[in-house]
Amino acid sequence: MIAVNIRRLAFYLVLSFAVVAGGLSWWQVVDAQRLATRQDNPQVIAARRSAPRGAIFDARGQLLASSVVVEGTSRRTYLDPAFAQVIGYASLRYGTTGVERAWDDLLTGRADPNPLRELVDQVLARKPESKDLTLTIDKRLQDFAAAKLGKNQGAVVAIDPATGAVLAMVSSPSFNATGFSGDPEAAQAAWDAVAGDPHNPFVDRVRQGHYTPGSIMKVLTTAAALDSGAITPQTTFADQPRQETEGFLVDGFTVHEHGLGRIKPALWNLSPALQVSSNIFFAHVGLEVGADRYLDYARRFGFCSSIRLGTGTRYLTVDPSYVSAPADGDCAAFADRVELANAAYGQAQVDVTPLQMALVAATIANGGVVPQPYVVRDLRAHAASPADGPSPTILESYAGGGGHRAISSGAAAEVRSAMIDAVQGPIGKLYAGAGAVTLYGISGVSTAGKTGTAERSGGLSPHSWFIGFAPAQAGATPSIAIAVIIEGSGDGNVRAAPIGGAVMAEWLKLLAGG
Amino acid sequence: MHAVPRPVEMRMLLPLVVLVPLGFAVTHIAQSGALDPGPLGLAIAYVGLMLGAHLALRLTGQRGDQLLLPAVATIGGVGMVMLNRLPQGGLGIDLPGVHLGMATTQLLWFAIGVSAMVAVAVGFRDDGFLRHYKYTWALAGALLLVLTFLFGREVNGARLWLYLGPIGFQPGEAIKLVLVIFIAGYLAEKRSLLAGASARLGPLRLPPLPYLLPMLAIFVIVMLIVVISRDLGTALLFLGIFLTMLFIATGRRSYVLIGLLLFVAGSFVAYQLYEHVRVRVDNWIDPFADPSGTGYQTVQALYAFGRGGIFGEGLGQGLPTISGHLPIPALPTDFIFAAVAEELGLIGALALLALVLVVVFRGLRTAMLARDDFSAMLAVGLTISLGLQTLIIAAGNVKVIPLTWITFPFVSYGGSSLLTSFVVIGLLLAISHRSALDSEAREQGS
Repeated sequence: MIAVNIRRLAFYLVLSFAVVAGGLSWWQVVDAQRLATRQDNPQVIAARRSAPRGAIFDARGQLLASSVVVEGTSRRTYLDPAFAQVIGYASLRYGTTGVERAWDDLLTGRADPNPLRELVDQVLARKPESKDLTLTIDKRLQDFAAAKLGKNQGAVVAIDPATGAVLAMVSSPSFNATGFSGDPEAAQAAWDAVAGDPHNPFVDRVRQGHYTPGSIMKVLTTAAALDSGAITPQTTFADQPRQETEGFLVDGFTVHEHGLGRIKPALWNLSPALQVSSNIFFAHVGLEVGADRYLDYARRFGFCSSIRLGTGTRYLTVDPSYVSAPADGDCAAFADRVELANAAYGQAQVDVTPLQMALVAATIANGGVVPQPYVVRDLRAHAASPADGPSPTILESYAGGGGHRAISSGAAAEVRSAMIDAVQGPIGKLYAGAGAVTLYGISGVSTAGKTGTAERSGGLSPHSWFIGFAPAQAGATPSIAIAVIIEGSGDGNVRAAPIGGAVMAEWLKLLAGG
Repeated sequence: MHAVPRPVEMRMLLPLVVLVPLGFAVTHIAQSGALDPGPLGLAIAYVGLMLGAHLALRLTGQRGDQLLLPAVATIGGVGMVMLNRLPQGGLGIDLPGVHLGMATTQLLWFAIGVSAMVAVAVGFRDDGFLRHYKYTWALAGALLLVLTFLFGREVNGARLWLYLGPIGFQPGEAIKLVLVIFIAGYLAEKRSLLAGASARLGPLRLPPLPYLLPMLAIFVIVMLIVVISRDLGTALLFLGIFLTMLFIATGRRSYVLIGLLLFVAGSFVAYQLYEHVRVRVDNWIDPFADPSGTGYQTVQALYAFGRGGIFGEGLGQGLPTISGHLPIPALPTDFIFAAVAEELGLIGALALLALVLVVVFRGLRTAMLARDDFSAMLAVGLTISLGLQTLIIAAGNVKVIPLTWITFPFVSYGGSSLLTSFVVIGLLLAISHRSALDSEAREQGS
């Protein structure tokens, strides 16, 4: 009797030990990687403190960040403040951000992209080897864009529409992280100076800036309307000329036109309506698309959830953009037709990041396919002497991947044509302003684009926007898509469009080997 | 008392002659970077102690189980290597004029524990004084409990210590032994009565109430420990021992289930009443909610497991210190399992658990071969006290259950625990010695 019970007890005991062994395996095998990369892991802290952290290079091998170990403490130097937000910082005292954070385990050498080598390293208890990163960003374009932004608050982001590679992403004002990424004792003063700046230099406006888009939103509205068949490029709205002066009454709310200046209202179809940027025309278009379809198209372009710069397990996160009120990580349904009509021309609850709007332009440029954006191009062995350029040994290459189709190529071609008119058409040229014309100095190159002036409540001066791409003429493959915002600076044509034009022209010159 | 050969024990102990000094040398090399074995005095003394115990058992004609000592010596060897490689400051004892470091102190306790084991294994020839005076033992245990509540010192909001001069003692360890002896005595006597059912309470079939009452009294005392000492780990251990022995005696799973349900209910009350219990449970649910505050040690232990991975960081290679301090203050006592798992990996930690299972299985085997019910119940109770204690602390370390402050037998730093654990092994050896004698007598008689 007792013997039988003892056998049963032995079974239960083995079962209990198996449960503990299961818990052990969970932490030591399944969850080990996640634990190993947590920032407060003493191993991470120790590795960061003493390891020669990997270097970061631009697309052409120009050194951007590197570390040296002085008296057992790793000190990091950042060579170009134009990259401050995208690269981020790796401070022993204040933590890590940006690419430094997302690729931290590889830069410090705690992880290896090859699981087999990682296992071998672990078995042999080898010291971690730090690795270097190459970005997709070209330092020449980044510096050019930063210089164009100057002392303005705002952002410039440029993407290769075909690949999703980020060519430049600048957030202004910038900062220099070198002061607080070296000796932890001396870090505080340098940190306090940046942290105390009322203009929030730490915010990466490209990814974390939340803005009302204004008229640049009309590009998305046009894309949704043409692809869904709600309108054709020839569609007109009979009441529109009259409403230009009287206002367009939607369910008790009157949509007003912005000042048209010398332009006389007429029965416009898509091209002239986009050229004069008619709010009333696009309010009509939005209502034709309808609330559900509008939300659907917004989501296809990347709205309503966060976007990743990069694929797989390492990426930078871009805050979600919204076309309606945010609701648990998604866009809420439009409250009523008034909200939809206003959202269609970029007001109401619409809230966007510059990167999302660059992606809209890139999608049109890419024939209706949303490219997967990415900012780190490859992982390399640690360069023996970073100042002399990166190691030729590429350990892992990253790519955006195929992206996904948002609208048909036919609809994209129609939007593209309307966007060319919006900056080069007879009226569009007046709106886009003389500044954007600098681009047309390159013979035979057309630009597609749209300016925006985002009204802000509380009497604040409006934001100036521009999105566009080039070359846009028939048969050409666009090589750059861009979004520019200058905070609180007034009309889009005055500030943002010239910068957008200049940056695109610079890129075409660089590509041509200039 | 004729000397008997113990060949299996001898053979199984021999690898330790190499392994323990090697462990000391490897950790020394890893930490100092110098290619010399470092001071091996403690390692040699440890191995000598175990071989000495083997010789003593052999010379005194002890015929008990031959796998118990080698298994325990190996588990203890892992513990000594770990304790020796940790920073020695802080723990240890101050004797007049001399401070003994942590590893030295532990070795001293090993010497005392092993001596006690041999003394019990050899000297314990008649269990009458345990069996017949079970109520006296129970009374002594209760008295010790009362003394602790009255004069004990509190550590970590729960742990209760009695101090005799400079040396602290945890009465819980002694009470654990007394509890096992009393329950074994009582159950062996009343087993048939408890197993039969004659009273009914709703759907439950219960044994006659008068026999149930002392059992209930034990249960109430255990729950009182929960409420008064606020030491959930010891309470869970005591209750586990009690319920397991009740199960062995009666074969009724329902008793165990009811007991566990009542314990969960009691723990819920403790959760409502005591802040530190609440903190413990909350940390169990999500230690990362406050990773630098109350969840700190748990989180750091998880990091240690994660760093160890499958193969471990290697002896002496893990446990990064932050400006000279261990990341886990309670590492030598409550988190020694995490340290072993970090440096020896999943493989090493599983091997350590397997060694404990070896001890448990040899203990259960001893119980099955025991010559009477009392010896069998005693052997089961003693075995389960070691097995459950290991389960509770290991499960707490890996966050399967909330963490409780109890020691990992033979591995954690701490004298009371070591001494008690060795007395347990000594008793098991004595029980199996007597059944070996019996079976020899039977063979000769036939």
